[in-house]
Amino acid sequence: MNKAEKAVIELRAMDELAAQNSPVHRMSPLAKLAIAVLYVLVTVSFHKYDITGLFVMILFPLTGYAVSGISVAQCFRKLRIVMPLVCAVGLFNPIFDHTPLFQLGSITVSGGFISMLTLMMKGVFCLMASFLLIATTRIEAICGALRAIHVPAMITSLILLTFRYVSILLEEVSIMTDAYMLRAPSQKGINVKAWGSFLGQLILRSSDRAERLHESMLLRGFTGEFDYSNEGKSSVLTVFIICLLIMLARSINFSALIYICMERIMF
Amino acid sequence: MLEFKNVHFAYPGGEPVLNGIDLKLAEGEHVGLIGANGAGKSTLMKAALGLIYVEGDILVDDTKVSRDTLSEIRSKLGFVLQDSDSQMFMPTVLDDMIFGPMNYGMSKDEAVALAEETLEKLGISHLRDRHNHRISGGEKRMAAIATILAMKPKLMLMDEPSTALDPCNRRKLITTLNELPVTKIIASHDLDMILETCDRVVLIDNGKVVADGETLTILSNKKLLEEHRLELPYCLAGIPMKPKRISK
Repeated sequence: MNKAEKAVIELRAMDELAAQNSPVHRMSPLAKLAIAVLYVLVTVSFHKYDITGLFVMILFPLTGYAVSGISVAQCFRKLRIVMPLVCAVGLFNPIFDHTPLFQLGSITVSGGFISMLTLMMKGVFCLMASFLLIATTRIEAICGALRAIHVPAMITSLILLTFRYVSILLEEVSIMTDAYMLRAPSQKGINVKAWGSFLGQLILRSSDRAERLHESMLLRGFTGEFDYSNEGKSSVLTVFIICLLIMLARSINFSALIYICMERIMF
Repeated sequence: MLEFKNVHFAYPGGEPVLNGIDLKLAEGEHVGLIGANGAGKSTLMKAALGLIYVEGDILVDDTKVSRDTLSEIRSKLGFVLQDSDSQMFMPTVLDDMIFGPMNYGMSKDEAVALAEETLEKLGISHLRDRHNHRISGGEKRMAAIATILAMKPKLMLMDEPSTALDPCNRRKLITTLNELPVTKIIASHDLDMILETCDRVVLIDNGKVVADGETLTILSNKKLLEEHRLELPYCLAGIPMKPKRISK
């Protein structure tokens, strides 16, 4: 199996994940979208040194993964390419920010080190929340939710069709790569000399196939906008409670609170 | 039901593909469209569907195919593409089946009910929630036909429906086609299938209708078929002789 074929399988696996049945899957896509956006906004709003406050935010995606039956390991496996990039964002902070924050034994922990950790955590948490959203909601439902908040139809159709057409493009890459490799068994990849014709053929073939797909859509009455029927339902109270908990986690530093409580109990 | 009046067409910068086609189809007819590669079969079907614009007139139920009437025309015609993968673009079979009816204003519940009824009729209810990429070629072909039937077309056009099917699935397809109560045009090189499913055959060559008549009369005319780069169907030609080995 070549890389393109693996990528197609991974893309389709997302569809299958989203088609599962769990309380999170059954929630209204609009509610899930609103909660995910609120979560991301709240998470990134923490101060760069507020690492203790940020800790509690992991609970939301973890609860989501537990309730939806999707394993966290699967999330990290799927996001294996993006995760290191997100984690690399704050790598230079310890070099530029030497502000001493606290002592850990004989070691002075600098602000740069803490802000690096905070940035990494923020990135990882946001990715986890976004993955939870797409792993529990079909792309059509997400686009439907976007339409419900009046995102232009052209943009939602573009998102939807891009998602659908990417797999077609990858399928063509996969077929062409196989055909190439079968006649060039000693080569490790596509030879530079063949890149031009390979790319040209890929564009022509995928455009032909996309045209056939589009014709098939037109023949079935497609007029430019998909009919996003609203799937799933959520009570306003459930959504309100989740949003309230997220806001509460932002206002109260639970980690510090637990630490203070334990300190008082122990001493 | 469907009428072509002196239809001409050429792709930009290319040779003429349709050279004055005159053809009339009545309601309830099952017509086989045959011809060698490049004869103009697929182009003729595309023209009927308004996917290409041609010189001459094409009438569907006395309505001329034009940009203004496309929606009306396409609600009456269903087209099954040669490549089911290009036709099925939604994640599951059911999603694909309700796509068309919902575009024509049906509510989701009504569309689902119609889809389920169609699946039941075709005996493929088990495919309802299956992902399109997880079903076999034969199942995909049946599902592709189901997506079109769910739109309740008056006329079904099919481009090479038996391509890449194993004998069992091909037989199932023939049985299904014979049971479909709609008017059909089947473009195919599978002349045995045409013999079993159509009561009229139209032979096209170089963009012209060269023969039009009762299926058995045309498909048993060896001379006519060979003149237009075709062969007798296997069932009429008898069991083919074992090819002679070339001696060294």
